Amino acid sequence: MKHQLTLAVKKHSIAIERFLRVARHRGFALTSLELEGAKNDELFHIKMTVDSDKPIYLLTTQLSKLVEVKDVQLQTLKQQAV
Amino acid sequence: MTGAQLVIELLSRQGVKEVFGYPGGAIMPIYDALYGAPVKHYLTRHEQGAGFAAVGYARSTGKLGVCLATSGPGATNLITALADAMMDSVPLLAITGQVPTAAIGSDAFQEIDVLGMSLSCTKHSYMVEHVDELAEVLQEAMHVACSGRPGPVLVDIPKDIQMAQVPFHPWLADEVEEYAEVDLAQLTKANELLANAKRPVAYIGGGVQSADAQAELMDFLNASTMPAVSTLKALGSVLPSYQYDLGMLGMHGGQAANLAVQQCDLLVCIGARFDDRVTGNLAKFAAKAKVIHLDIDRAEIGKRKPVAAMLHADLKASLPKLKPARTSSSWLDTISAMQTQHGWRYDYPGHEIYAPALLNQLSQKLPPNAVVCCDVGQHQMWVAQHMKFSHPSNHLSSGGAGTMGFGLPAAIGAQIARPDDTVLTVSGDGSIMMNIQELATIRRNNLPVKILILDNQRLGMVRQWQQLFFEGRYSETNLSDNPDFVQLAAVFGIPGQTITEGQEVAQAVDNFVNAKGPYLLHVCIDDKANVWPLVPPGAANDEMMTENA
Repeated sequence: MKHQLTLAVKKHSIAIERFLRVARHRGFALTSLELEGAKNDELFHIKMTVDSDKPIYLLTTQLSKLVEVKDVQLQTLKQQAV
Repeated sequence: MTGAQLVIELLSRQGVKEVFGYPGGAIMPIYDALYGAPVKHYLTRHEQGAGFAAVGYARSTGKLGVCLATSGPGATNLITALADAMMDSVPLLAITGQVPTAAIGSDAFQEIDVLGMSLSCTKHSYMVEHVDELAEVLQEAMHVACSGRPGPVLVDIPKDIQMAQVPFHPWLADEVEEYAEVDLAQLTKANELLANAKRPVAYIGGGVQSADAQAELMDFLNASTMPAVSTLKALGSVLPSYQYDLGMLGMHGGQAANLAVQQCDLLVCIGARFDDRVTGNLAKFAAKAKVIHLDIDRAEIGKRKPVAAMLHADLKASLPKLKPARTSSSWLDTISAMQTQHGWRYDYPGHEIYAPALLNQLSQKLPPNAVVCCDVGQHQMWVAQHMKFSHPSNHLSSGGAGTMGFGLPAAIGAQIARPDDTVLTVSGDGSIMMNIQELATIRRNNLPVKILILDNQRLGMVRQWQQLFFEGRYSETNLSDNPDFVQLAAVFGIPGQTITEGQEVAQAVDNFVNAKGPYLLHVCIDDKANVWPLVPPGAANDEMMTENA
């Protein structure tokens, strides 16, 4: 099942690798990624689509824990209740 | 001051009195700053030893453990300790030297992308890119390591930044931690579940130690008279005097613990994470039970098992809000009968040494605040089954990562952190060789660490699985060419003794416990001894294999 997420991530180069690693490791295949970071903005604004049989909250809760991730929003499809 | 001096100054201001490490080229400025500094450095003989000593220091005190290593192989040697600390939620700060900024990316001598390597084994990690951010990064790193669900944090500092001049930074204001408040609707639901449960069980995890919530846990248990089972890491959280303490659950858990969980109608999970070694076949784990899950880490709630109510908060805040369960007397009668029927027996026939009985005797002779460290394998499970602990900081065992070689350096860290307490490590003949070089650290610092080796001349746990599940094909588990461990210890100036017969145990345990300095007790046991009970892979926890089955 595909899910689209938007993330606000602190503009550190390692931060991109960090959240992408979490997505892969937790079993969510990346199908698209858009990243924007204006020069004066302290954050990267990211849209990503992931595909997995697993409920999406298993990813959003892990991403929300990352120190550099300031916001995670699920854009499409219902989040499976815990 | 230099960046290196700032590092030591900030550690000192944070109350760090002891660090563990190993010097090398890219971290030499920090070692220069350590020279004569109030922060005492303990040199281990391998960076992994430094990492595990820092883990032992942290786990035996609840304080931040700190380890240092140089770039390249120094940093990679820390990785296993970082992974171990990640799995077991240990507050750890690893500071690594890095090649100078200008050389990064050039495949310079001893250059490894340790920041990249750290991603999967740290709670967070940094590479300092400019000396002006050094103070803020270090302070944030210490805060991240110790706050919320604790974990390891790595700070990689290029050599030029260590050497650069930096103006003195005043200590930044501590961040005020904002923990989630307990959700009132969820709390109401949890209290309703507690009020209506007939057969509740509390399932205790390592979160109790992280939250320093043993007192709150015992208040809840005593008010509820609820049977309690513990994960490996939680052992000691439930006081041994608690009547309905059923000990460890899971693959090598006690039968009463596993059966109680399988039969309960309400499972109150307190700072645990439904690890696969705990649950066995997850679909069959506590299948009749509703679950209340208390945890500071939202990602653990519902990760493996659906919950009926969740309290996402610090356990110290959430536990007192729970109303006592109305545990039925018939359930307590059932539990008592299970405890009687499935209690441990130590009347092992024969003249050989029976490891569970020896460990039980040892446990009874140790002072209440003794720290028992473990390696990984059969001996680790026997310790968990047959020794008693009054606090989780008194039982240091590599839980999630299951790292052989953990015990000896962890005991060094614990002994340095708690110099007035008895500290021992129980190891196997396989595990002890994984960080045997740390005997030199014990000798160098005259640490009175006691070392007990249960020697079956095998990689015992693997051998047991080969016997049970691989048709007795004993591939690479024979260690009958072990060195003479007592002679080996003697080379490091550590006295010791070998015993081979059951009748020698009592005196040898006395000698071991009462030795004034370091001591090694080498215990020869049957190479066919197995750990029982055992939940086989894929089975439910009430489908345990036992010795006589």
